[in-house]
Amino acid sequence: MQTQSSRWLGHGVYLVIMAILISGVYFAGQKIDYTWHWERLWPYIINTESQDILAVTDGTAKVDNSGHLSITPDYGDDPQIVERYDTLVSRNGDLIFQGDTIARLDGWRFGPIAEGLWVTIKISFISLIFAVLLGVIFGLMRVAHGQVWRNLAVTYVEVIRGTPLLVQIFIVYFFIGTVFDLDRFTAGVAALSIFTGAYVAEIVRAGIQSVPVGQMEAARSLGMNYVQAMAYVIMPQAIKRTLPPLAGQFINLIKDSSLVSVISITDLTKAGREVVSGSFAPFEVWFTVAALYLVVTGGLSLVIQRLEKRLSASD
Amino acid sequence: MIDQLTPPDSKILIKAKKVNKIFPNGCHALKNVSLDIKRGEVVVIIGPSGSGKSTFLRTLNQLESISSGNILLDQVDLTDKRTDINAVRAEVGMVFQSFNLFPHKTALGNVMLAPMKVLKQSKEDAKQGARDLLYRVGLADRMNNYPSRLSGGQQQRVAIARSLAMKPKALLFDEPTSALDPEMVGEVLDVMKELASEGMTMVVVTHEMGFAREVADRVVFMEEGELVLEETPERFFHSEHPRLQRFLGQVL
Repeated sequence: MQTQSSRWLGHGVYLVIMAILISGVYFAGQKIDYTWHWERLWPYIINTESQDILAVTDGTAKVDNSGHLSITPDYGDDPQIVERYDTLVSRNGDLIFQGDTIARLDGWRFGPIAEGLWVTIKISFISLIFAVLLGVIFGLMRVAHGQVWRNLAVTYVEVIRGTPLLVQIFIVYFFIGTVFDLDRFTAGVAALSIFTGAYVAEIVRAGIQSVPVGQMEAARSLGMNYVQAMAYVIMPQAIKRTLPPLAGQFINLIKDSSLVSVISITDLTKAGREVVSGSFAPFEVWFTVAALYLVVTGGLSLVIQRLEKRLSASD
Repeated sequence: MIDQLTPPDSKILIKAKKVNKIFPNGCHALKNVSLDIKRGEVVVIIGPSGSGKSTFLRTLNQLESISSGNILLDQVDLTDKRTDINAVRAEVGMVFQSFNLFPHKTALGNVMLAPMKVLKQSKEDAKQGARDLLYRVGLADRMNNYPSRLSGGQQQRVAIARSLAMKPKALLFDEPTSALDPEMVGEVLDVMKELASEGMTMVVVTHEMGFAREVADRVVFMEEGELVLEETPERFFHSEHPRLQRFLGQVL
């Protein structure tokens, strides 16, 4: 048994070690010839600059009494009507050339990093759902009585686990994507779900096999058929046991989603790369990107921990 | 084929005819075992471990398939491929040595599950039935406990209630008290005695000689996959059969 005081001592030593590590990183950052510009990152996360509204053709500006702005083009087209603006730049009767700023819109927009984060979350979440579906189907096939099912499941798992995800993404995008005319996002989701599904299938199989044989016998001896026994007796117990390894696999999925940037999906990683070339602040950008991944994976961990706690009511 | 020629005897509920079981590893676990069990009868099977008594019991609801022979329940041949084995199993309850309660369900949930899913009872009906049964086995105050919060004896009584919830024609007991601490054996045996007195057909594999003597209508001795002896308790325990004598000498 650990005593209370030795636990506090442990926490204290941990804090000291972490402080040394962090200050080490900090001083290393100071020592190199690099000027830190954290403030440059902000526009790439949330852009608060006002947005210019440009004229689409040459023409004349027209502002009526109630403030409605429209551009009457020189050559007979329909007028360009500006529905919403905050600051007026042009005045009534101004001559406007195509591309001129005629008004400005205040407010904020998401920058590329925030949009990339959203793409990462979206692609991970959709892939997660399909991966679980695939994993449960193939995991059940893996323990089924029919040899055909078992062989099919083993083939799937071995082929997918035995090839790199990067190669799979290329194959799905360039080959399967061409055959079925998939857009890049769908191809990315497909590659990630197929890849993760293979691992989930193995986790599900292990979970099912960890439930004692007597449970299946008890369920069958009560007259339940195989499907009922699986659904009401085996799977509920198996799922509880598979949650910790599944959490690890889902976290891997989120991290692996960074590989879809190779097929030009602007996820968090690709957004980071683009922002680096625009902001000239590579260190800040990559630290930020890493922190954002950590937030997403940490959030997922937390959700699964909650779920585990709730399912452990019967322990 | 043979069954249709012999006149159906409605008194006999379970009929095992020349049952042979050979495991894939070549072990000949059951050798020509034949046994008739009448309605309302309590048959106790005893024998040394590895004698095939549990295997035989498990063939009676086809948890174990057989290599040759026939098993008939109410004149339905279980070995016939056309027989709906799930329907048969719903009519034959089984109580296991290791209880095999569903750990993710409460006592009540354990008893309610099969009636709801197999018999398609409404939740209210299943709950009412489960309450009555748990009351009967003396666990009225433990209904909402998970198995992990119950003692072995309580778990086994829940398991019996769970089997009874399917209103079975017969109950099979596979060493129901062997995994229990000695002080809990009594409470389970009491429930079984009560069932026997209510006329439940029971096949019990056990080492409890007292139970066999007191409750059984017939006692069966198995050894090395063979059914050696089949007698009423009085004659059984006074039998001069050398193999039985040797076994009883070891256990008593």
